[in-house]
Amino acid sequence: MSTLADIKGTGLGLKRELIPQIQALYQNPLIENINFLEIAPENWIGAGGKAAVELAWFVERFPMVCHGLCLSLGGPDPLNVEFLKQVKQFLSTNKIPLYTEHLSFCSDIQHGKAGYLYDLLPIPFTEEAVHYVAKRIRKTQDILGQRIAVENASFYVAAPISSMDELTFIKAVLDEADCDLHLDINNIYVNSVNFGFDAHAFLCGIPGERIVYSHVAGHLQVKPDLLVDTHGENIIGPVWALLDKAYQLFGAFPTLLERDLNIPTLPELIPEIDKIAAHQARHSLQQPKVA
Amino acid sequence: MMLDFQRYQIAFTAHIRNPTAHKKPAKVPDARMAVYREIVFNNIFGSVSACFPVCKSILGVRNWRKLVRQFFSTHQAESPIFREIPQQFLDFLKTTKNFPAYLKQLAHYEWIELVISTQQTEVLKLIKNPDLLNEKPVLAPAHMLLEYDYAVHKISKRYQPKPKEKTYLLVFRNAENIVKFIELNPMTFELLRLISENNMAGKQALERIAEAINHPDANTMIKFGAEILADLANQGAIVGSMK
Repeated sequence: MSTLADIKGTGLGLKRELIPQIQALYQNPLIENINFLEIAPENWIGAGGKAAVELAWFVERFPMVCHGLCLSLGGPDPLNVEFLKQVKQFLSTNKIPLYTEHLSFCSDIQHGKAGYLYDLLPIPFTEEAVHYVAKRIRKTQDILGQRIAVENASFYVAAPISSMDELTFIKAVLDEADCDLHLDINNIYVNSVNFGFDAHAFLCGIPGERIVYSHVAGHLQVKPDLLVDTHGENIIGPVWALLDKAYQLFGAFPTLLERDLNIPTLPELIPEIDKIAAHQARHSLQQPKVA
Repeated sequence: MMLDFQRYQIAFTAHIRNPTAHKKPAKVPDARMAVYREIVFNNIFGSVSACFPVCKSILGVRNWRKLVRQFFSTHQAESPIFREIPQQFLDFLKTTKNFPAYLKQLAHYEWIELVISTQQTEVLKLIKNPDLLNEKPVLAPAHMLLEYDYAVHKISKRYQPKPKEKTYLLVFRNAENIVKFIELNPMTFELLRLISENNMAGKQALERIAEAINHPDANTMIKFGAEILADLANQGAIVGSMK
């Protein structure tokens, strides 16, 4: 059983490949900086057998967070209320205190029928979209009976119909929905390269008081001006610098390492988690600057 | 009524689903759009392919890709649960022409392994010393009796049956959460069907079968059936009995 207060320090995204390794190193000082774990509800809801046994094992031993992929907060089809009820039940059964989602969409309507595409697609940044997404976030929070946090997503195509920049859009949605922020540091960097803006200036504009926790990850450089958010590489220098700046601005908030592709062994991942913890330790000694 | 940004979203996904039939939205750079064309399809292709390795090897990569692309561009997947993507693909296959019947059955057989491995089950209260003849034998909580027109479990790139061959299988998840398939003869299939669907005790089910096939000696039948049930219990397919 864990509460929001247990989501602290450093965490790791729980991928299948890592399950036996974490189990084998449980309570070993080598992994002492894995304070919490994150799972996608879309991978675990309704799963029996081996998965259910594993989930029960982790829920008993680690604070857990649900980070969703398919709620489609910006989707043109109706919000999937049935699915949200399943999420609510899943959170309650497994005593998971936090559910976060993406500021993106992953479903559409074609031939009059709703359907999933199972990937994170960019919402055009317009006034109408702000109201629409905020309304769906509020509805989500009403159904769950708890606040959610939304993550700033990475993307590759800027909608020509957008009437505001990403930061303005994020702030407007957070204000209107009155929800929390799941800050993805790597996504700020990826988008700053893909769309040519200043990542540090962007970070300074973030409403720090809404941050519940953050993500860091590696990405793939396809071209000098195109980064793809694969979570398949090590974290690069500029992203570490951005994380450091964020701690300086807002204090050392909880931070989780995402690794979804080219997953190395756990002992190879640990140095990145330890490095996050070292950054946090440095900043927890000083008061955050209020931006 | 659809909002402006939603019209853009739908044009955006229509193009991702089927780039040859739907142009990309105006003023969007093609090189960037290509990222979405690739990652979205590759993600779905990976999920579907992981569940149907034999179907994929029989069709060959090129035809398999075409089929999954057709699924992605024409079928609106209804479930947000990743594990259910293969089931959506199976729903799509049912509506597809030019896909041989034996491959449809093979696809079903490949999908069943995923279903049984992840099926949620309840803990059963079982009798300690099971009496499989006088009580109702209980099959592993996650199990299914399957009937196919082809020997789906033998199909491979090298063996592709043209004639039909009625095939009966029991699939179940054992105590170690491993999925097992057992090929059954028609009589054993009927025995397990009577037990699991009609809640019969072992002996009762065997008497019913003896009667149905006009077997001259029900006792021989019962003796033979008891051996089969004991063997299935040995393999972990039968986990105990209930009154």
